Amino acid sequence: MPVADFGALAENSLRMPASSTSKLCRVAITAAGVVSPLGHGMEETARSLREGRDCVAPVTRFDVSRTRCKTAGQIPPAGAELDQRLRALRLARFHPASISIIEAAWEVHAMDPFFQPELTVVGATGGGMSYGEAFYKAQVEKRRPRERAMWLANYLPQKAVLDAQEACGFRSPSQIIANACASGTNAVGHAFALVRSGTCRRVLCGGYDIISEMVFVGFDSLQASTPEKIRPFDKDRTGLALGEGAALLALEEWDSARERGASILAEITGYGISTDNHHLTQPHPSGIGPRRAMERALADARRTPAEIDYINAHGTATAFNDATEGVAIFEVFGSRAPVSSTKSMMGHALGAAGAIEAVFSVLALRDQFLPPNIHFREPDPALPLNVVANESRAARVRRVVSHSFGFGGANASIVLEEAAP
Amino acid sequence: MISRIAGLGWVTPLGMGLDEVWTRIAAGDAAEIKTIANPETGRAHPYAPVPLKMVESVGRNPRMRRSSAISYFAVAAGLAALENAGLAITPETAAKTALVFAISSGGVIYTRKFYEQIVKQGANAASPLLFPETVYNAPASHLAAHLGINGASYTLVGDSSVGLAALKFGEQLLAMGNLDRVVVVGSEEMDWVLCEAYRDWRLTRPDPAGKSGALLAEGAAAVVLAREGSIDVPVIHPGVPFFRRSEAASAFDRAIAETLAGRSVDIVVGGANGTFVDRIERAGISAHCPDAECIFPKRALGEALGAGALMQVVTGALAMRHQGKTSALVSSIGFNQQASCALLQLPP
Repeated sequence: MPVADFGALAENSLRMPASSTSKLCRVAITAAGVVSPLGHGMEETARSLREGRDCVAPVTRFDVSRTRCKTAGQIPPAGAELDQRLRALRLARFHPASISIIEAAWEVHAMDPFFQPELTVVGATGGGMSYGEAFYKAQVEKRRPRERAMWLANYLPQKAVLDAQEACGFRSPSQIIANACASGTNAVGHAFALVRSGTCRRVLCGGYDIISEMVFVGFDSLQASTPEKIRPFDKDRTGLALGEGAALLALEEWDSARERGASILAEITGYGISTDNHHLTQPHPSGIGPRRAMERALADARRTPAEIDYINAHGTATAFNDATEGVAIFEVFGSRAPVSSTKSMMGHALGAAGAIEAVFSVLALRDQFLPPNIHFREPDPALPLNVVANESRAARVRRVVSHSFGFGGANASIVLEEAAP
Repeated sequence: MISRIAGLGWVTPLGMGLDEVWTRIAAGDAAEIKTIANPETGRAHPYAPVPLKMVESVGRNPRMRRSSAISYFAVAAGLAALENAGLAITPETAAKTALVFAISSGGVIYTRKFYEQIVKQGANAASPLLFPETVYNAPASHLAAHLGINGASYTLVGDSSVGLAALKFGEQLLAMGNLDRVVVVGSEEMDWVLCEAYRDWRLTRPDPAGKSGALLAEGAAAVVLAREGSIDVPVIHPGVPFFRRSEAASAFDRAIAETLAGRSVDIVVGGANGTFVDRIERAGISAHCPDAECIFPKRALGEALGAGALMQVVTGALAMRHQGKTSALVSSIGFNQQASCALLQLPP
């Protein structure tokens, strides 16, 4: 395992941010790691995406007898080899959130063993929330179990990130973005901006989130989640299902990556962020917030809508989100570009969603296919979109846009491109 | 490009006025301590509250009707910092303004209330009115709406050093984007369950008169970071992580050494709070800036977690102004993430 060069890291981490007038660098993705309901690792995930697997299943982790929605996308058990490796780390002291991001970090490290980040930027919304729940229940039940200290130490969102860094021998400062469901895309986008501006040379970025009872009930109380199948952009969509997972991407200045002989999976070329001040949980019906993020990302990438080959939509399947996002996509891209919401297969992984979908976009670029939008039955006449309905398609994919939108009016889009010399 | 401080604001247990609170800190005053009890067990915890009356004007905005105290503090501090900067926010200025929000525990009052409903009454009784306010970025969203910011708004979560991480993030945005300013705000509110957690973590004092352990506090602090301003911020360290408490001393030593890079400072605004942080900070300051005057505002204001490091920045800027000093080092050692520092200087 390579050991961080602390001298070099210190010099880089203190470098003043480059001004906006500096020459812009190209940004390579040299490695990625992912764990989600679709599987462990890039290859299993790619197979699940191509097969259009429905990975949403009944929730078993906590009582759902009194909620409307009873299903979610949950990470399947790890294989024996991975399980053994995790046990060697004294698995019991880690929250499942830590385990998921450690797994993603290991995959990044295996793919590019010489990648050493000078900064880590991760999106998350809940951290080790289930430990917080356990702590509260113990208070109500007037119990003081021995696990209290372990719950507290592993509850806060930064802990999982530090666990992943330590598991891979990374030791960099971390910025943990909590912009609700846009967190993952914001983390990838901010990391991209830092590398492109020359402020950082190498940044590890991504997101993680694990389902907890409180958040599950929260979406149920808002009637945002559905007891039925999730059908993004369908005329009869009834809401979302939650998901979970973690994804990390290694971003590096292009020439630096080439010089050290790193493989380049894809390139990030644009990032757009916007804030919609309409309401804490509902987007402005005009779609102005998402549209601004999309337009800013395209402008940042110096691309036209016609140059985009695939749109990985936020697509939660709620009435509000899909209507707003659909309008924005139509206004910016028209009906030509194929669109799918991969949440139809695995649910909505909240703070991890944007990072996971960035990895899905990398796979679409790498393997030249369009991931499907499953459970799609009938187009919504108000949303004239080219939905990749039910089955994946082989396609020439050169450029992808991936969107995420969240509570608090957080909107983010990124543009990813195939790794052309 | 050097970031500069153009405006300051805060909401603290000692008051809201910049000079008013500074005078009380300098005079050795301390926040009034109240207790908050765990209703399940009766166990009481000392803490330093901010009276909601102090920020009640914020609540007149319809958007804030259902908000928790943390959002009130955040909005009040952010607006105060912009007023201090002499900025009237118009659509044109909002378009050139970003928001970076620092938080450690977030909306714990509504989070606990919402989960209480689930545990005690069942999931079907959980209120959809409470849940949206539990998300970490709810306070930032309210402040963005107040200011009409439709561009970049980020919420960062972390340990009690997160305020400096947010300041660093603001510096990055200012340098990379087509922005004129970034409003960096940290805010925190208290609830009995948070007090229980930190006490079980052995980081807080069990009784009001105790000296050992942090006194948790509420409040918010805001800094308008801009291209023009009265105080330069030439170095904001991005932080040195530590995986366990035994590594915190070497992490802090590295952060302070890299921030100072051989420079001397007039003032150190420390983060000492009655925990393991004090010993580490004392050793670091003795080694790297033995002649500096030290100010420890958490002795007066309490440990406001996500707002704590930004309260130190505000204290540092006020100390320079009131004492005629030219430089200040702000140091922050978090509880379980990273150690960091920032350097404040009068422009040459």
